[in-house]
Amino acid sequence: MVRPHAGAALSRRRFLSLSAGGAVAGTTALSGCAMRVSSAVGGSGETVTVMAKADDFSPELIRQAQKDTGVRINTVLHSTSKLIAMMTNGNAPDLVRGVGAVDAPYYAARGVMEDLDPYFAKSGVLRPDDLDPVNDLWRYDGRTQGRGPRYGMAKDFSQDSMFWYNTELFDRADVDYPPELDPVTYEEWLDKAERLTRRRHGQTTVFGGSYNGVLTPSLLASLTVAAGGNLFTEDYSRVDFTTPEARKALGWYIDYCRTKVGPSIVQPDPNTWDGPTFQANRLAMSNSGYWLGGLINADKRLAPLSRLAPAPYFEGGRRVSPCQAGTGFWIPSASHHKDAAWRVFEWFFGEAPARARASGGWGIPTLKSLRPLMPAQENYQKRVLSVQEAELKHYSVIAFTPYATADSLLALFNQIAPAAMTGGMSVDTLAGRLNAAMNEQLKRGKEQVG
Amino acid sequence: MTATNPTPVGPTRRTGPRLRVNRLVLYTVLVTITGLFLGPFGWLVVSGLKTPAELAASPVHWLPDHVQWHNIADAFNLIDFLGYARNSLVIALIYATLVTLSSAWVGFGFARLEAPGKKTLFGILLGSMMLPQMITLLPTYLIFAKLGMVDTYWPWVLWGLSSAPYLVFLFRQFFAGLPRELEEAAIVDGCGYPGIFWRIFLPQSWPVLSASFVIAFTWTWGDYIAPQLLLSTDRTTLAVAVMSTYVTTAGTPVTNLQAAASVMYVVPILLIFLVAQRGFVAGMSTTGLK
Repeated sequence: MVRPHAGAALSRRRFLSLSAGGAVAGTTALSGCAMRVSSAVGGSGETVTVMAKADDFSPELIRQAQKDTGVRINTVLHSTSKLIAMMTNGNAPDLVRGVGAVDAPYYAARGVMEDLDPYFAKSGVLRPDDLDPVNDLWRYDGRTQGRGPRYGMAKDFSQDSMFWYNTELFDRADVDYPPELDPVTYEEWLDKAERLTRRRHGQTTVFGGSYNGVLTPSLLASLTVAAGGNLFTEDYSRVDFTTPEARKALGWYIDYCRTKVGPSIVQPDPNTWDGPTFQANRLAMSNSGYWLGGLINADKRLAPLSRLAPAPYFEGGRRVSPCQAGTGFWIPSASHHKDAAWRVFEWFFGEAPARARASGGWGIPTLKSLRPLMPAQENYQKRVLSVQEAELKHYSVIAFTPYATADSLLALFNQIAPAAMTGGMSVDTLAGRLNAAMNEQLKRGKEQVG
Repeated sequence: MTATNPTPVGPTRRTGPRLRVNRLVLYTVLVTITGLFLGPFGWLVVSGLKTPAELAASPVHWLPDHVQWHNIADAFNLIDFLGYARNSLVIALIYATLVTLSSAWVGFGFARLEAPGKKTLFGILLGSMMLPQMITLLPTYLIFAKLGMVDTYWPWVLWGLSSAPYLVFLFRQFFAGLPRELEEAAIVDGCGYPGIFWRIFLPQSWPVLSASFVIAFTWTWGDYIAPQLLLSTDRTTLAVAVMSTYVTTAGTPVTNLQAAASVMYVVPILLIFLVAQRGFVAGMSTTGLK
């Protein structure tokens, strides 16, 4: 039972700044792992409250956690409004699910995340030299994401600008496959998508390709970096869609939506995600990273037909292959059971559950030592793995603003952009309107953070 | 014995081609409207019996090639379906019973008692219906947390005891239409207002009681926000579980199982409505709200 704890409630300023965001809103053991020991922190016998999604902590996993760590787990479903309510009341959860790419700077800037560096320093399981660079998404130095103390960790990850493609649909449309290890340009990708799209009686029977990223704001930030620029100003307090690079990125995405070669806000996929559409042979290219392999590998018909391709690039831009999610957990600074929470954290990210995730194929492990567990039994898995391994060297953190949630920026984008996607507004006008609306939002966020 | 044709009693039935055409048009319209209303539910049932790939197929597969009956068993077994259903049932029964009685009591007061400011109070009560639930979300959590009632069913008891504006309005309209003589006769016989309410007015109001119970049960059974906010994963309701637990390892929805679970989720509501529909319809029509 969740009981309020006697503890300091959030300050009015911090409460308001959080509320502003909320409103919108194989278990194969590696020999090395077996030798590792957890950090000296305690927590055994305590109960921690974990705010998670249903798939994060199954009842079996909760029982295993108690057996392995001695810590009992009580779960509450993840919800931003509930998180704010619990923090305001002084009974913050002890572990909270978050999307590192966008949540880490937002919450860290508001001072509600616990600095985990001292815990990492003591841990024998989560050694800093073993952490994949993707975990830098959970670092924030007070100004820029990717530097400074660690506030959380990703449970697994993908490079979300990559894409899967269905060779059967390429053959049917007589379109060349993308090169194995060399990226295509974004323009080439769109051209292929147009040629792969099939329509009948006004209905799209085969989508040429999807390209929506994890969340549109982080996608646009990634595209702009790929074009050689930066969507955010140096202090992350403003966006600028009118720079040549951001304009190029925005224009490309609007072209993608306007040509209706794939799902978008003006042509939504009723399935809400690419998996079932890709499985139904109705999607030739899916902008999903390695994680979609978890679904594909389980489909014996689809798996040999599916291939993973590197992230596209813009001519004259930079080759980047970021992670737009890096979903994981963080410990609130207001937690009353930090040591117990860290023990669960350490177990979840470095022990049996981490090994099971690594061998499941639903993401790249976030500990380098767990990479040998990634599925590579079948030839198609080996092919995917070689593409993925080559892509890792192009990974870099693309910092997101701490002054607004990605959801709030997405809501603004979804209000303004459809007119441009349907040809009713020029990209230049759209860029100006997005600047005005998003910068107003960011300005309010900056005032709250101080 | 002479056979005689029975003499028709009452209005003569009109027959003829014109009447048949009228009926044909009427039934066509009624069947079309019924189809439109049942369509989404039918689609939900069909979706729950398909594979994910068939759900995404184009052209649309109106019926599954191979009916996936196991989806129902999978949806049932993947989560603690019965446990969540029990939680929903307990909360819905507690709330529906209490709020029906408390709303009847408050409605009786507004209909039959006189007090200064009654009209203003009634206006404020109705005005509170305009308040979006999101606005009261955070204060609601804070109040129940301070009272130690988070992750318990006590909030639904308190909400039930404090009546609901719409249901109060329903009862007030009904009670206001009952003859004043009933009340006066009871007073002459020495009955107080609690007795008048309990012995005379409440037994008369079964259609509204039935309508109120169905409405309140449906509200609570279908509520997502309050249980999501106040209850932990183990104690939450079927509405929350169906929305959030049928997911892949990557957290993406498994829509065919979600559809199968949704069909099972609406069955209790359908049953309750079928059982109480006569009273529900009568309740709505006798309060002037039809």
